[in-house]
Amino acid sequence: MPVVEWLHALEQTRISEVVRESAFPYIEGTHVLGLSLSVGMIAWVDLRLVGATMRTRPVSEVYESVQGWMLAGFCLMFVTGALLFVAHATKAYESVFFRAKVAFLLLAGINALIFHWTVNHRTTSWNDAPVPPTAARMAGLTSLVLWLSVIAAGRLFAYDL
Amino acid sequence: MVWSALQPVVNWLGGSALGVWLGQSPTRIAILFVVHLTGLTLLLGGTIVMSLGLAGVGFRSGSSAQLAREIGPWRMAGLALAIISGFLIFTGGALTYFEGQWFRRKMTLLLIAVIFNFSWFRIVTNAPDGRFGPWARRLTAGASLLLWFGVGVSGRAIAFF
Repeated sequence: MPVVEWLHALEQTRISEVVRESAFPYIEGTHVLGLSLSVGMIAWVDLRLVGATMRTRPVSEVYESVQGWMLAGFCLMFVTGALLFVAHATKAYESVFFRAKVAFLLLAGINALIFHWTVNHRTTSWNDAPVPPTAARMAGLTSLVLWLSVIAAGRLFAYDL
Repeated sequence: MVWSALQPVVNWLGGSALGVWLGQSPTRIAILFVVHLTGLTLLLGGTIVMSLGLAGVGFRSGSSAQLAREIGPWRMAGLALAIISGFLIFTGGALTYFEGQWFRRKMTLLLIAVIFNFSWFRIVTNAPDGRFGPWARRLTAGASLLLWFGVGVSGRAIAFF
């Protein structure tokens, strides 16, 4: 079955109908305010990696202080985002902004994984450095730019609805 | 009373060249909303971190006053972005926004949140450790979160109710 037909079938489901017709404001509102827990938390780790804030605190302390909230925030974003998608699946699929958002999300995920696998396990040597080495700073900056792009594409996509 | 006293200013703002120019273009407003959400992410994310510091959750090294000094400028930059972009979004649809119940609730809460932030919240976060007991600090953190998220929730409600 082609994607568009499959998405159309998705929009016929009861859950899609409920989100579209009554729950949308609450789920959308949760998705927007969830920015504070997801991007709003990862941004502090990124800014610390860049060397722009909390320079006297170990990188690991900043990361460990926000990680639980951040993971909860991203779970919240994924669940509410999936429900919003189900409500308007065809429009989302056809929107250039939604496609851009998914692309930025994937890139942000890849950036985080690369950082985790290559840079992070050597953290011990520069954990206390006020300004981390270039590779870590680049990872932080890339993450900041990508998450801002996710916000921008998401907000612009809302105008397509 | 206060609201009707502001009506002439709102009329002037809405009819000004800037108001008309902004109101003409959904694209301009969409870009302003991206800035508004970026500001919200920094402001609410910063509020969460400062509240965690006050409540003694995470960020173990250094005092909550030190954490406030490190986070404060970024959080205030978020507030400035949100207020400037919010003012411009309002200007682009001043008369309609001004009539809205949720818009008025949001502005009232924003005023309370700002006053609270620069008075009691500032006193408690900047106080030397031990000056306020753990419960006074937790209550202050909770009140701050409630106020700023209240501003966010009523802001989202403007779009839907």
